[in-house]
Amino acid sequence: MRKFCDLNNYHFSRMLFLMGIAASAFLNGCDSENISESAIPFEEQLQEKLISAASGEVITIPEGVHNISRSLSLNVSGVTIKGEGMDKSILSYKNQVQGAEGLLVNADNFVIEDLAIEDTTGDAIKINNSENVTIRRVRTEWTGGPLTTNGAYGIYPVQSRNILIDGAVAIGASDAGIYVGQSTNIIVRNSRAEYNVAGIEIENSTFADVYNNIATNNTGGILIFDLPNLPVQGGRNTRVFKNKVYTNNVENFAPEGNIVGSVPAGTGIMVLANDSIEVFENELSQNQTANILVVSYLINNIPINDPLFDPYPEAIYIHANTFIGGGMEPDSVPLASLKQATGEPVPDIVWDGDKATTEDGQALLDPFEILCISNNSSENFVNLDAGNNFQTPSFDISPHQCELPALSKVEFASAD
Amino acid sequence: MKPNLKSVLSSFQKRIHALCAGSAAVLFLQLTGCDSGPILLPESNPTRLSEWNLFTIDEQFFEPNEETQVIYPTNSLFTDYAHKLRTIWVPPKTQITWDNENLLYPVGTILSKTFYYPKNASGELLKTTDPQNTMIALYESKLIETRLLVRRNDGWDAIPYVWNEDQTEAFLRIAGSSHEIALTSINGTKNKDQEPPQKFTYFSPNENQCAGCHTTDHPDGGLLPLGAVASQLNTTVLDQTDSNSESQLDRLVTKGWLTHSERNKFSKYTKSYNDQSATLEERALAYLNMNCSHCHNPLGPADTSGLILTGNHRSPINLGICKPPVAAGRGAGNLRYGIEPGSPEKSILVYRMNSSESDEMMPELGRSLVHEEGLKLIRDWISSMPGQCG
Repeated sequence: MRKFCDLNNYHFSRMLFLMGIAASAFLNGCDSENISESAIPFEEQLQEKLISAASGEVITIPEGVHNISRSLSLNVSGVTIKGEGMDKSILSYKNQVQGAEGLLVNADNFVIEDLAIEDTTGDAIKINNSENVTIRRVRTEWTGGPLTTNGAYGIYPVQSRNILIDGAVAIGASDAGIYVGQSTNIIVRNSRAEYNVAGIEIENSTFADVYNNIATNNTGGILIFDLPNLPVQGGRNTRVFKNKVYTNNVENFAPEGNIVGSVPAGTGIMVLANDSIEVFENELSQNQTANILVVSYLINNIPINDPLFDPYPEAIYIHANTFIGGGMEPDSVPLASLKQATGEPVPDIVWDGDKATTEDGQALLDPFEILCISNNSSENFVNLDAGNNFQTPSFDISPHQCELPALSKVEFASAD
Repeated sequence: MKPNLKSVLSSFQKRIHALCAGSAAVLFLQLTGCDSGPILLPESNPTRLSEWNLFTIDEQFFEPNEETQVIYPTNSLFTDYAHKLRTIWVPPKTQITWDNENLLYPVGTILSKTFYYPKNASGELLKTTDPQNTMIALYESKLIETRLLVRRNDGWDAIPYVWNEDQTEAFLRIAGSSHEIALTSINGTKNKDQEPPQKFTYFSPNENQCAGCHTTDHPDGGLLPLGAVASQLNTTVLDQTDSNSESQLDRLVTKGWLTHSERNKFSKYTKSYNDQSATLEERALAYLNMNCSHCHNPLGPADTSGLILTGNHRSPINLGICKPPVAAGRGAGNLRYGIEPGSPEKSILVYRMNSSESDEMMPELGRSLVHEEGLKLIRDWISSMPGQCG
């Protein structure tokens, strides 16, 4: 009869340690060797803590670079993961061998702060189906620069509610640095997104405030998108304000097939198929396709098989923004043709001109109900007439000169 | 030639359980009483698998406790060609009940799944078809891990155990573990020396990763069994130890674990993706259902993609037909649609099944190798589809 001993197993050793002398006597014949906690790889200790955590627990990440080879995950609500600073406590996934993300969270009342997640093979932090999520002073970065082989998303809450992203830094994502999808009640503020395809992207979401952020050196700075065939759609009520959105001219390095792969390099702020969006008091400069693009889903030339999907943007209110330069090197065939034809930079505000119509082709809404523009630093505007194959672009801003009521502030308890 | 398991079984049936005869678990068993059946541990998860008394093991055989029932669900999730031995046990005087068409297991139920590879005389691990044994001959197998699902008062707990090198005990590894494996293929006619073994890292899941698949109703629902469900058990399995060919559900009735009357009202069964008499589409949907729908269902964590692979999708686009990717990243493989009819090489579904990169492959967890047979089935099915995307 063999004895049930496994001397290399640390759980067993820990049990021996706990049982003390009695255990040693009882296990007479099994040569044991106590292995202290420190012998367990940091990664495994951390994953164990995440699994065994109780609500209210704070799990600390000490200063240092900690190598993680497999996805970490948290399913316990009410847990805080806290480091000592986004440049001090670093989870490095350079040698990741398993998992589609660095950290996967399915937990309410979750806080993560003051740490960095670097070089994951897939997404850095994915938070699915969670409520009251706070991501504060967290950096997600691919350290090799903007590469197609980088993971898709840096900070990625999806199908969640009450999301605060504050003071985050997202660098190098091959899709979006900060990406909030299919969610509601969202605040993204005081954050910096750089060298991503999309700096900050709010997709199929409602009630978002995106403010005081810096989006620079991305392909597109800030994107507000709505896509068909998803369980959560009808993106609306997002305010994008007081952001600095400049020199987002990095060549699009998204893997083909993904929707952001179609975003032209040099895009400042882009609104696609959303309704009730307020873009104000932003400073947009040197985005060389256009500072602001407002387009329908039809611009992608992808067939729509979704009767519930509204592909047109409506009630888009753009006011009090400052534009400096931009529009000099449009990475888009129709905009490049436009620039060539006019000899002028692409206007600061570009609308594709596609709109909902009745069966006999009558517009359902007045132009100002679709796009309303006031008090910006320039009045350079174009309606591309995309629906008529860009035949008759119009630079006349007057049908869109108006004011709309301000959207209300996004508020929720965990953001106070 | 395999030894005949049937011939050696009878001697084991009379054997006293090794654990009770004396082992490192003696102290524990003295405290709990050494019963012949598995031991229900209502709260704690012991460090060692042996403490559950689900199996006996010696130099030759790993054998389920005879109070348990070995089951073989119709379809199996691919796990790097590992073979699987599954058992059910429900505590004495309890019964499995029905909630519509779902089995409701009583508190105390223990489901086990032991993952192992066959090996040859020189110790090489082999890539073969799962023979669906009811016990494991250790002289021709290597045990990797045993995962338990235990029905506690507040729901199912997933508890992963990993076998030691000596094959004498499996230890709790809540944070998972990994094993370097080299698999030698003996299918086909080639001399195996001509084909180098396939080397890969086999990952045992951590407890959260167990939930990643077993939480099909996300996130509010708890864990649920995936294989031990009525429609997967309403099939006949020819047991190697006898010629009994009743449905596995009927065996549960015979054992007194399931009520007869309600069982007779249930006639649903799942088609096997290996069933050559089924249509290509039936087989493909059965495969996707078992391998994908635990996440890709309307309540699952992957509903964020809008891709529903239960086999009961709302419309073709939810099955991926002409559907653009949403958040697939590199997994989109520079392709435009989930499924492009007639063109498996242009279909993201095929691309992701054919990848072993952690950020591209599907399923995301549970495999390091490509399931060649499953991939072929899905390729053939997509090839047979008429039409094209716009």
